[in-house]
Amino acid sequence: MRLNNYWLLVAPLLLLVMALYAWPVINILWLSVTEPQAGLQNYEKLFASSSLARILWTTLRVCLLTTFGAVLAGYLVAYMMAHLASGERSWMLTFVLVSFWVSVLVRAFAWLTLLGRNGLLNGALISSGLTDEPITFVRNELGVLIGMIHYMIPYAVLPLLANMQGLDGRVMSASRSLGAGPLVTFRRIYLPLTMPGIFAASILVFVISLGFYVTPAILGGGRVLMAAEYISVQVLVTLQWGTASMLATLMLGGVLALMFTLSRFMKLSEVFGAKA
Amino acid sequence: MPDPASSDGLTLKGLSKRFGSFEAVTDVCLDVRRGEFLTLLGPSGSGKTSLLMMIAGFLDPSDGDIALDGQSIIRLPAEKRNFGMVFQGYALFPHMSVWQNIAYPLEVRKQPRAQIQSRVQEMLDLVQLTEFSDRLPRQLSGGQQQRVALARALSFNPQILLLDEPLGALDKKLRTDVQEQLKDLHRRVGATFIYVTHDQEEALSMSDRVVIMNHGKVVQVGAPNDLYERPETVFAANFLGKSNFLRGSVTAANGQTLSCVVAGADVHHRCNGAAPGVGELVTLALRPEKIDVAPLGDAPLSNGLQGTVSSLTYYGSNFTVTTEVAGFGSVTAEVGAWRNPHRFETGQTVDLSWQEDATVLVSEGTES
Amino acid sequence: MQDKNFFKELLTKSAEDFKAGRMDRRDFLGLCAVAGVATYAVSIGDAQAAADEIVFWNWGGDAVKCHTDSFGSPFSTDSGLGFKVDTSGPLQGKVKEMVDSGNITADVADADAFDAIALGKSGHLEAIDYSVVDKKKVLEGFAWDHGFSAIFYGYGFMYDSEKFGDNPPSTWADFFDTNKFAGKRSLYKWANGAIEGALLADGVAKADLYPCDVDRAISKIQSIKDDSIYWGSGAEASQMIIDGEVTMGMVWINRAKAVEADTKGRFKLVMNEAIAMPGAYIVPKGNPAGRENVMKFLASCQTPERQINMLSCHGMTPANPEAFAMIPDDLKRFAVTSAENIDKVVFNDPAWWAENGGDTLNRYLDAIG
Repeated sequence: MRLNNYWLLVAPLLLLVMALYAWPVINILWLSVTEPQAGLQNYEKLFASSSLARILWTTLRVCLLTTFGAVLAGYLVAYMMAHLASGERSWMLTFVLVSFWVSVLVRAFAWLTLLGRNGLLNGALISSGLTDEPITFVRNELGVLIGMIHYMIPYAVLPLLANMQGLDGRVMSASRSLGAGPLVTFRRIYLPLTMPGIFAASILVFVISLGFYVTPAILGGGRVLMAAEYISVQVLVTLQWGTASMLATLMLGGVLALMFTLSRFMKLSEVFGAKA
Repeated sequence: MPDPASSDGLTLKGLSKRFGSFEAVTDVCLDVRRGEFLTLLGPSGSGKTSLLMMIAGFLDPSDGDIALDGQSIIRLPAEKRNFGMVFQGYALFPHMSVWQNIAYPLEVRKQPRAQIQSRVQEMLDLVQLTEFSDRLPRQLSGGQQQRVALARALSFNPQILLLDEPLGALDKKLRTDVQEQLKDLHRRVGATFIYVTHDQEEALSMSDRVVIMNHGKVVQVGAPNDLYERPETVFAANFLGKSNFLRGSVTAANGQTLSCVVAGADVHHRCNGAAPGVGELVTLALRPEKIDVAPLGDAPLSNGLQGTVSSLTYYGSNFTVTTEVAGFGSVTAEVGAWRNPHRFETGQTVDLSWQEDATVLVSEGTES
Repeated sequence: MQDKNFFKELLTKSAEDFKAGRMDRRDFLGLCAVAGVATYAVSIGDAQAAADEIVFWNWGGDAVKCHTDSFGSPFSTDSGLGFKVDTSGPLQGKVKEMVDSGNITADVADADAFDAIALGKSGHLEAIDYSVVDKKKVLEGFAWDHGFSAIFYGYGFMYDSEKFGDNPPSTWADFFDTNKFAGKRSLYKWANGAIEGALLADGVAKADLYPCDVDRAISKIQSIKDDSIYWGSGAEASQMIIDGEVTMGMVWINRAKAVEADTKGRFKLVMNEAIAMPGAYIVPKGNPAGRENVMKFLASCQTPERQINMLSCHGMTPANPEAFAMIPDDLKRFAVTSAENIDKVVFNDPAWWAENGGDTLNRYLDAIG
């Protein structure tokens, strides 16, 4: 068989990707079985250390809840946008995109200002007599979830909006004309047809959430320790690079396994918008 | 044919729809008889689709009422009206198989499983798609998708089936076949079909009655041959087939026969109804195929004009002769091609003649 | 302090874009304004260190100006060498990575004493040349093979004088007593100071603090866990107090003066039992300016006047005993080594932290999570 010429064309790019991406990743995998000495002792820690298990569980729990919240809220926003006139929609899209520019740090502190003990919301609740004691919205896991969901909504909106705008509105009218009310039409037609968008949004939000660091650190009041922050501490402060690379490897593996599992149920290229 | 005396069926009373300052449908009154095949025909923007959407329940009328068997249904949402609908582009559920698509309206109505089974099978047989029942819509051809859409819309036995340009996506040859199938289906299921199209041939060949619409208003309602033979307005005469329009003033009225001067020549017309008075300006519509064309002086010209041939267009079964009539303008005639005794050439002067009852008195209409 | 790096990195990245022409000046300045950071705080001098200049690696913020004014500019005037600041924060891991990669871009790092010991042991640092740097100009016990203290900082706590004005808290035992002194507490998230504070509160004598009984410290810390929140950066610590999230909050002492001012004196600093932290200036192995130049610079940082300037500018306490008497009256209260405070505070043992810091931090993080 003749060597396909096209491979020669993409070879430089592949080499570049290998050098800039694959090599460092392989390095990290390598570190996880060689630091501080060769062996699987870093992975054994997973079973030995309840603290690692707890961090991973916190990470998984927070990320899943964030994914659920952000995709749910994003679905509502995208639904509204998809059903607006195009002029209004482009305005809303602008607002969604503008929110990408606001630093994660600024947003976290903005939430503190709004929801803190002496924040605007608690001030309003107390002055209106609804509560006597300020409600603890932030500096706990709830705060982390609020901050993360808020941050992730735009990431959920975009794939969902693309999905919804691609739908033929007549299909929903057809369902109505065939005797299905709005709820049945939503459940049996609209929701299934937006599943690819929901999957894409969920994967995107979940994977990005795994790497969250600043929001949990600030809004969690130091009490919600997630894997990304823990890895950074192990790399930068405690110098336990073996543990850090083991966790990084685990997260990378987890994401790949997730993608693989999903790819068995649906075409990922379709999920991410490339029509097969 | 349905019983025309029956008062039940669908009644539209003074139906209007405004979008801001734009009036899409204006004061439409219409009785749709049970079981008839009624076509809403009009150019794009004529309001025919808006009218259909109001009937279906997808658009709220700004004014007027819609009644079914004497009961107003204007407050009923689309899903409660029990009208089948076939959409432009079919709007099949892409994630459901053919079987599931057809079963959907039955499942929504919570019919028993066994009943759904047999009804879906019946519908699949009706549209001859039994072996495709497990396919997804995207695995079917356009014509097959169209049949699924029909089967789905008919599976719950709707009293009325609404069809919004259902043949628009099909190529010309397939369209003719599907028109036949649709007519056949209509005869077999006995439901009322309300059919929207902008294609006059489709309207003429399939409908029991045609509603011609323009600028949101009903221009004329009637059976296809009525509309063709007796258009009431210039628009109707022009939209349904082609027409020449002879404009002139009435010089004499002799019983039902009028004489008018058109381009200096005397033209006679036999009226069907009330005749206009002497001196009035009238417009006579004259179908091209009703004009005899003959070389000059070949026969005595009792009722006609003289024109100079400006172009000839050949269509196989016939050809059109376009002539220039001095002081009037162009008049087009259609002549059979087979065994026509005459040969015409451009520049030749010819006699154009027709029977007194070939012309139709039409109003100019403000909307034409 | 790490959180702050995010802003800084964003701005540094933007500064590079700006320099490369991918961003125009207005956008860049706008971004800086949004970030609330003056443009001078963003250095893009990384990886451009040269032999004729000292690159000072610190944590950004006010320290950029203070290190430049107090130490950098006078040294440049004396020596003719340039002075630049890299603000990316010399965490141990970063120093290690820099030296290991062979791409050394900093000459001096503003680190902690336990970093000097740990990184010195692992071979990532140049040894201090004590023929140039004067050991006598360092408080005794705070000069090590691979670093020495030019300044001290420390952890104290501040309390709400409106709540506890009549009977103010004065010890860590008071800090940990949420029955007697109701309200929320804030503690440092990276364990330093919090461990010592907890042990003192639990009755460990100052002299017996080290080696720390981590189990004991953690159970004390967990005893007020439901009433505690934790901060990772000085800005956060101040914000928790200023916004009234806590009635007592652990702080970096150098920030206390500003917090007192911001709360109009409502929150007051307790220096009794404050944990004094020896800072350490360390030199990454193979520093670009060369050992001789950097030692000259380090020696210049021992000048008493310059250390006093650093105190006025950034609240960092002098480590040169000659400077102790020169501390201005209004700053004595906030200075770890002033006559009124030096016997009240507890000096952190960097040797213990160098050895046990990593494990202690991980256990602490696990306990507060």
